[in-house]
Amino acid sequence: MNTIPIRHKWEPYVWLLPSILLMAIFVVFPIVIVFKLSMSEISKAGIVGSWNHFANFRAAFRDPAFGTVMLNTAVWVVSVVGLSTVLGFITAMALNVEFHGRRIARSIVVFPWATSLVIQASVWNYIIKGEYGNLNNVLLNLGIIKSAVNWRSTYQIEFAWECGVGIFVTIPFVAFTVLAGLQSIDKAYYEAATVDGAGFWRKLWNVTLPLVKPSLTVCTVLNIIYVFNSFPIIYTITKGAPANKTDTMVTLLYMRAFYDNQKGAATAMSVIGFAILCVCASIYMMVTMRKEEQ
Amino acid sequence: MRMNTPEAVLRVNRRALVAALLAAALCLVALGLPVWEFSATVFSKKSGNTFVGDEKYLAVKAEVEAEAARYTEETGAVAQVFENVTERTNSKGQKTSMVAFEVRQAMRRTGWDFLRSGLAAGKVLLALVLCLVAAAVLLGAGMRGTMDVDWPELLPRRRGLRLGAAALGLAALLLVPVFMMCCNLAFTRWIRLATDGFPRPGTDALLRALDGFLYGGTAGEKTLELMSGLRHQAMLPLLAMLPLLAGFALCAVVCADGDPRQTLARALLFAFIIALCVVILYPYYVMVITGFRSNAETTDMYFQHMFPTKWVWSNLKDIIDRGVPRYLLNSLMLSVGATAIALLCGIPAAYAMARMHFAGRKVFLGFVIMSQMFSPVVLLVGISRLMNALHLSDSVLGLMFINAAFNQAFAIWLLRGTFVSISSEMEQAACIDGCSTVSAMLRVLLPIAAPGIVTTLIFVFINAWNEYTISTVLISTTSNKPITVGITQFSSFNMIEWQYLFAAALLATVPVVILFMCIEKHLAAGLTAGGVKG
Repeated sequence: MNTIPIRHKWEPYVWLLPSILLMAIFVVFPIVIVFKLSMSEISKAGIVGSWNHFANFRAAFRDPAFGTVMLNTAVWVVSVVGLSTVLGFITAMALNVEFHGRRIARSIVVFPWATSLVIQASVWNYIIKGEYGNLNNVLLNLGIIKSAVNWRSTYQIEFAWECGVGIFVTIPFVAFTVLAGLQSIDKAYYEAATVDGAGFWRKLWNVTLPLVKPSLTVCTVLNIIYVFNSFPIIYTITKGAPANKTDTMVTLLYMRAFYDNQKGAATAMSVIGFAILCVCASIYMMVTMRKEEQ
Repeated sequence: MRMNTPEAVLRVNRRALVAALLAAALCLVALGLPVWEFSATVFSKKSGNTFVGDEKYLAVKAEVEAEAARYTEETGAVAQVFENVTERTNSKGQKTSMVAFEVRQAMRRTGWDFLRSGLAAGKVLLALVLCLVAAAVLLGAGMRGTMDVDWPELLPRRRGLRLGAAALGLAALLLVPVFMMCCNLAFTRWIRLATDGFPRPGTDALLRALDGFLYGGTAGEKTLELMSGLRHQAMLPLLAMLPLLAGFALCAVVCADGDPRQTLARALLFAFIIALCVVILYPYYVMVITGFRSNAETTDMYFQHMFPTKWVWSNLKDIIDRGVPRYLLNSLMLSVGATAIALLCGIPAAYAMARMHFAGRKVFLGFVIMSQMFSPVVLLVGISRLMNALHLSDSVLGLMFINAAFNQAFAIWLLRGTFVSISSEMEQAACIDGCSTVSAMLRVLLPIAAPGIVTTLIFVFINAWNEYTISTVLISTTSNKPITVGITQFSSFNMIEWQYLFAAALLATVPVVILFMCIEKHLAAGLTAGGVKG
């Protein structure tokens, strides 16, 4: 092991102390607060009362929007993570091939990752505006469509657009994690497979996929967490309208906590969301730690 | 490389050449057939408050039919009568019908008609024909005298000629959709703009050309009126040209390379990359052009240009007057502060994790991995209460700490990966020489680990710069807002000032995108370094 001698037994803990303090105060403490609030009565003025027998959770489940929003969250996470993984994988495969201008292509692919989500969402919000939106303008002036299209006629279509923007901004992350995995594959495997007469698909299935599986797993679990927590896209494009029909869990939570002043229900939702994330994170932790031990 | 007998090569080449020339010939034949179909209104009349079949309806119908007959007599073309019935309930609650009659004439135009018309679409078609003919000539010249020579032994010049034919074939193929787009522009877009009172320069010339093309010069002043009800679509011969031209290009590739799979895979790769880049760059194009348009142009549904008619640089001045520099400064302070805190806490922790053995190492590692998923969004309520208690809410300092804390796990993870991948021999030597652990790390390890540290630094910086959700909850004073929250002042519920929104967004985006492009090379490696055993 790559270690250096330590003089005192307590020395490593001193090294860790600043980091532990920082995370304890600003990460662990809010978690404790949220758990405590979710169990207590909170008045309209925000004063915390006593233990209220899970009334906050009952309020959260009784919330008229709760069912739709859970369904939306599921659709959101599954579609965004699923499609961005597939598209990101294809992008990584393409960027792993040598061709003229590959460096430029890689730099361009990184763009959406470097841009703030709220800015991306604002731009797309303008692009798909009904009449004067830029998509209509470009398509009309190129002669691709004959008359202006209402790109957001129903809330389902708007939600689909939001998922599309989500996929768009997630692709670079997947592409670059998978690319890292692809680049670490020894070329000898492919040469051996070619000698054995394997075609493109056989190589993809039997060599590439098993070898990038670890990076793909890590990136998928991280992605589930990021996408679940993604807030600005939906908040900017529809704000959950009409009547929370396009909300996901985090935007509903935000609305309930900071607009509708229902802090109790909001903290209960936080805890539910936190529990869902904990399951994902445990899977992630097990996968990473196992990789670490290999 | 595959080697084939001259007979086999001759057979393949002969087939490919015949197929290619056949496809080219069929294309030229298709151009002689009607490629575009029109249905033009020549007369219309509405009959309101009627029922289908009653007296009023019959009277109007007779009038319309007489008009159609007159038109047929005058022009010799067959005019058809169409009726469109809409049911509605009038003010007395009775159900009545609204019948709209239209006399329409179906017209078809061949490719040669287009060539003669002087329309832009005709010029595209001319380019297509020229491409195709040139491709056929090149292919013939490339094949002459080498029909039985295997591809690997072909002279580079011959190969070049055959590949050139394939490229020209591809160009011809791409000109078909361009032709369709030109038709849509000429027959719908520009006509609609002119009818709605937004004529573009050159509309008069276009109308004259259309008059000659569709009405044989008889419509004159009435061209615009007649054109406004025009329906049009592509016909089968034009659509058939798509597979024909694709076949031509494919045959040329077979002649040049024998096995087209390699070339096709390459073409597919480039098509994918180009499409991807276009889609990714599109929002940035929108940001740039909208940021420098005038307010009227940003919400103009008739806007006729892909770029601003006049670049309004004063938008920049306006956003500077409206506090954007302050937001940028806040963002800068916030990101620099968060990065500094995250690294100052993270480097020692990562160092201890990478270099020291101690009880609880595993537990802390587990916590670091777990906490990558503690998103501030889910904890918003807790964070805002905590910051209130600490008197840090509504201040840039508070945002610094929160951003540092939530990026801490990722920073430790990246840094630890970097440190583990560097051998500790030098530090051990330094320790034996009497150096303290601290100075061993500072003087020996950190200079070697600089690239990894810079990557982490930029990553945390960008995350803090782009953060939106916590800031929007914690910050209420305008002068404390970071840029991501600041730009939302340009989009209120009733009015969105798109030009200012995007000009400010541009200022917020450009520096970060450049930073990200700098670390792009290390990014992928850094992301997985944490998991790679050193």
